[in-house]
Amino acid sequence: MSTNTTNQNRSGLEKFWDNLRALPEYFRGTAFRTGVPNTDRTRSSFVFGNLFLHLHSVRTHLWSLKWSTTMGLGIITTAAFLITLITGVLLMFYYKPYPDVAYLSMKDIHFVVPTGRFIRNIHRWAANIMVVTVILHMARAFYTAAYRKPREFNWLMGIALLAITLAMSFTGYLLPWDQLAYWAITIGANIAQSPRELTDALGLTEYIDPGGLIRLLLLGSDNVGPEALIRFYLLHIMILPLILAMLMGVHFWRIRKDGGLARPVDAESRLGVLPTNTYPVFTQAPAKTYQLAAVVKGRTPLVGRGPESTVPSMPHLFYAELAVLMFTVFICVTLALISDAPLKELANPSVPENPAKAPWYFLGLQELVSFSAFMGGIGIPTIVMIGLGLIPFLDREENGTGEWFGGTGGLDVVKRATFIGLAVPIFIETIAISFGWIREWFPQTPQIIVTFINPATIITLAYALYSIYLVRRYNSTRAGALGLFTCFLCGFLVLTIIGTYFRGPNWVFYWSPLDWPKH
Amino acid sequence: MDKNKYLLLWSSFAAFIVLVIAALSDNYWKDWQQIQKNARADGKTIDVKLRQIVIPELNTTDRCVSCHVSMAPGEQAMTGHNALLAHKSVVHDTSSFGCTICHGGQGLATEKDDAHGNVHFWPEPMLPKEFSYAGCGTCHTPLSVPNLNTLTKGKTLIERYDCLACHRMDGRGGTIRPDGGGMEGNDLSYIGIKGYDLAWYSKHINNHNEAQTGTWRNSFGEISEDDQKNIASFLSTRIGAPKLIEAKALFNSLGCMGCHKVNGVGGDAGADLSRIGFKDPGQLDFSNVTAQHTLANWLAEHFRSPISLVAGSQMPAMGLSEKEIELLTMYVLSLRRRELPSSFSPKDRAKVIQFKEREFATDGRTLYGTFCASCHGRNGEGARYPNTQAFPAIASPDFLAIASDEFISNTIRKGRAGRRMAPWEKDGGLKPNEIEAITKHLRELGKTSFTPEITPPRWVKGDANLGSRLYKANCSGCHGLKGQGGEGPALNNKEFLGSATDTFLVQTITKGRRNTPMAGFENPSPIRQALSQKEVEAIVTHIRNWKGE
Amino acid sequence: MTEESPKKSRLDPEPIARRDFLGLSALFAAASTLFFALLGMLKLPKTAVLSSPSKKFPVVLPDSLATGEAFIPQGRSVAVFRDEKGVYAISTICTHLGCVVKNNPEGFECPCHGSRFSVDGTVTKGPAPRPLPWLKVTRNGDKWLVDETTIVTPGTKAT
Repeated sequence: MSTNTTNQNRSGLEKFWDNLRALPEYFRGTAFRTGVPNTDRTRSSFVFGNLFLHLHSVRTHLWSLKWSTTMGLGIITTAAFLITLITGVLLMFYYKPYPDVAYLSMKDIHFVVPTGRFIRNIHRWAANIMVVTVILHMARAFYTAAYRKPREFNWLMGIALLAITLAMSFTGYLLPWDQLAYWAITIGANIAQSPRELTDALGLTEYIDPGGLIRLLLLGSDNVGPEALIRFYLLHIMILPLILAMLMGVHFWRIRKDGGLARPVDAESRLGVLPTNTYPVFTQAPAKTYQLAAVVKGRTPLVGRGPESTVPSMPHLFYAELAVLMFTVFICVTLALISDAPLKELANPSVPENPAKAPWYFLGLQELVSFSAFMGGIGIPTIVMIGLGLIPFLDREENGTGEWFGGTGGLDVVKRATFIGLAVPIFIETIAISFGWIREWFPQTPQIIVTFINPATIITLAYALYSIYLVRRYNSTRAGALGLFTCFLCGFLVLTIIGTYFRGPNWVFYWSPLDWPKH
Repeated sequence: MDKNKYLLLWSSFAAFIVLVIAALSDNYWKDWQQIQKNARADGKTIDVKLRQIVIPELNTTDRCVSCHVSMAPGEQAMTGHNALLAHKSVVHDTSSFGCTICHGGQGLATEKDDAHGNVHFWPEPMLPKEFSYAGCGTCHTPLSVPNLNTLTKGKTLIERYDCLACHRMDGRGGTIRPDGGGMEGNDLSYIGIKGYDLAWYSKHINNHNEAQTGTWRNSFGEISEDDQKNIASFLSTRIGAPKLIEAKALFNSLGCMGCHKVNGVGGDAGADLSRIGFKDPGQLDFSNVTAQHTLANWLAEHFRSPISLVAGSQMPAMGLSEKEIELLTMYVLSLRRRELPSSFSPKDRAKVIQFKEREFATDGRTLYGTFCASCHGRNGEGARYPNTQAFPAIASPDFLAIASDEFISNTIRKGRAGRRMAPWEKDGGLKPNEIEAITKHLRELGKTSFTPEITPPRWVKGDANLGSRLYKANCSGCHGLKGQGGEGPALNNKEFLGSATDTFLVQTITKGRRNTPMAGFENPSPIRQALSQKEVEAIVTHIRNWKGE
Repeated sequence: MTEESPKKSRLDPEPIARRDFLGLSALFAAASTLFFALLGMLKLPKTAVLSSPSKKFPVVLPDSLATGEAFIPQGRSVAVFRDEKGVYAISTICTHLGCVVKNNPEGFECPCHGSRFSVDGTVTKGPAPRPLPWLKVTRNGDKWLVDETTIVTPGTKAT
């Protein structure tokens, strides 16, 4: 408003004219209240003045910006989620959630919808990438011991996000309504029903039937039909994404409240000489609390620490995040261009797909399910989830936080555990594949025994025992946790590979898909 | 910090390039876009856009016309690409039926391989061009199709009487105009649908008689009643699909329905063929098929050697010529009935499905060809296939001379329990008048009539012990120790023992059956002596002691 | 290094030694890529093929159809007429707001906003801005092929 001085002398019409001319600039001022973000203050207000950016703290530690700290896995997961979100909404323009019609609409998307095939491919690849990176992200958080105080709760959030990510993926699997989808979901729904295996064996099913209830809630009928499709659709596009987005908000917010990413105590000295275009703060004394000392009780996580090598999040962190986002976009579009998402023949409830395989990340579970539906599908996954959740509450050691393979035992334990983790399932699977299991040896064995003694439980038990051994040997919970986590990761890998590449029709072992009998 | 900026720069740049490629392939590089871009109608370009035919009643959305533009309703022939050739003139127009209902394939697809259905995940690929008439079977069921002999005879007669001089049929003939100018004789290609004047012959011959000179005088003459009948039966099959009719006529000569059911009629030993033309090639074993993996090739190979494609198949290799295999493949491919809304359901189909009308001619010869020929031979000579029992030669004069019509029709009605011969009075079997027609046809085949027996049905009273010994020595090798059958037919069989008279048995043993392993026992052979009348009666007594199992 | 920093206060602008070409070009590349992707995505909702039945369809007129009597093919918004000069088709979609007009001996009547049309489709009353269009009809054997996408001048009749 440079015309202020002469304002009094101007007529109403002229003033109106002036206001009209100044409109763009004035509007800009109302939308962006801070000026160019080139000072610490303007940069700070750039961050906290923006709804989308204010989940970040205004300054970021240089340790967090090192590529080796996180490898960008969390951001890749988030970026993949955003990509699935956008492409998913686009696909909803054409998708019709009703049996058979759904399949035809997939064909339409594939053949005649402008960019439809490409968008669907991106959706599919981004979803796969999300599953991979969410697992890797968890592994990163575990191996850098980032779950420790004060981040225990955020670790639980992460586990919840992992579960929801898998659920999102699984519910999306049914929507094309092709053979693959139909039979994978039929199997999935029966896994959900598998607590009945236990209640049947105990003769309790007629009194209490949680398995049947879960299945009924999931399918809305006694088979996979229109009711199931609309439920999966609702879960996939509405309920799960909402929960996921909400928990993501909590997850991000907690990162900030827990003092940023975990880093070693001696991070400052390890960073060495800082680049000249960064502006470390608190060079004099650590006096800040960030919190309104008089109002809020407790210490911030930063109190008591020495000078910190932080830089303004704007632009340093945002460059990194944007770079990872675009990198993810690049990977997704490239994969989408190279490889089409699968669409098999129309679902046919009378001809089972053989083998009916779930999405690849569930094939490890499917391998376990082939021994006992309840243990493989519900029992072991529940134990694993609970075990993962307990880690931060049991491991209360402090050394090695923020460092790769930090803590007692370290890389040494990880290496040994990798060997055990690979060897045990390979050994047990070899026995089961070559000689069969209890049922084959003693056909009269009651189901309850098969449920509790099968390759799935034996592998789990072996891992648990090995982990207890590590706790004793290193006299450290962290060592046991390192061993157990590594073992489970390896077990997941081995079983997934067996399920993906070595199981053919009737879930029979084959050395290669080329050996499958041609029906 | 710069490495993040480099990552951002190069990732964005690479993503941009990938997006540009994706945009180009979506908007410019697709086959149908290229074809339409180069298409010229009357020398002018056409709009480049996706085209489709939607027939909601048939659940049909056919995008075939995105490439085959000139086949779309109201379009004209175009140049620029082979796909743009116009459809040949047919009864059914694309605007009412679309494309896939006849041709199969994936109408929703817009890319050649997917659309033609030669992809792993589309169970109904397009019918190969040489079998395109099989597509008629989606809706139609050609009615009253005779066996191949009768059909060929009709065709030969049409040729011999030179009907095609005036009439046009299936794209041939029709050059002479009978009245010197004016209309040529009408086109007979669709005469089986349109129907024709039943009094055509008297009108023709009238014209011939009245004309003093000219075409009518020179080109028409008398036709015997038999020939008229044959011509009529041939004309009723002219419905615009000559090759399909020929294929069905072959099917009606090979006795396939003795084992297989089609639309609810036929035997139960083999697979139901009613919708076999829709079989998903993805579900078939192609390991022994060297040709391209299509249903047609699988079927053809299956006809050459059933057992090598279907493990444990009982179906014998029929020893067909390649021409016959092609025809049979075509007919079997045409068994692809689809559910249709009533407004689209053709009359022939309604007749078969709702009114249970026969879809084959019901003369004895065709019935025999349709139901019996595979086991008893095309001319009743019997058959022996590897790994199966021998089937009796039922047109053998020796048999026909001693078997009454009642015996034969009883056998057809009741079958032989425990043996291959089914009781044909069953549901989906034969009607009484049809059984009668078959019996009559057998007499024509063997050219032998039955000499009525003067004896009562049961008159033999022989020595059962002697009979038992003699049976063991002479008969059990083929008929089994307990008459259960083996190489030869089962004798210890309720239906057989019930309907065979004593005279029938005695005669069979003494005279034997010529051209079969059953010798006449009234004559000695190098390895045994002749049996006396008394001994034969003893054997019959022994046989009569069985209760029939 | 912090002690020797030339910067006096954290409220001072960063000394810009050189323009950050790298950062700017990276940002520009990212923005243009995302913009290009957005354009592609905006293309998706524009349906390329309509799922409605083909706009060209065959009609078989009953022999009993009298002059001036409308034949309405099932499921179509077209009235087909036959008189001694030939066969013609008039769209029965009101040119005002798309309701289907009813045929009566005087012409057509729209139930929605009261537009009236004469037998040849000209507006006689009401808000309809244009006459009902005549559609192209061609003969195809014993059928008539009506093309809803091609409008012909009123009075054009196919023989």
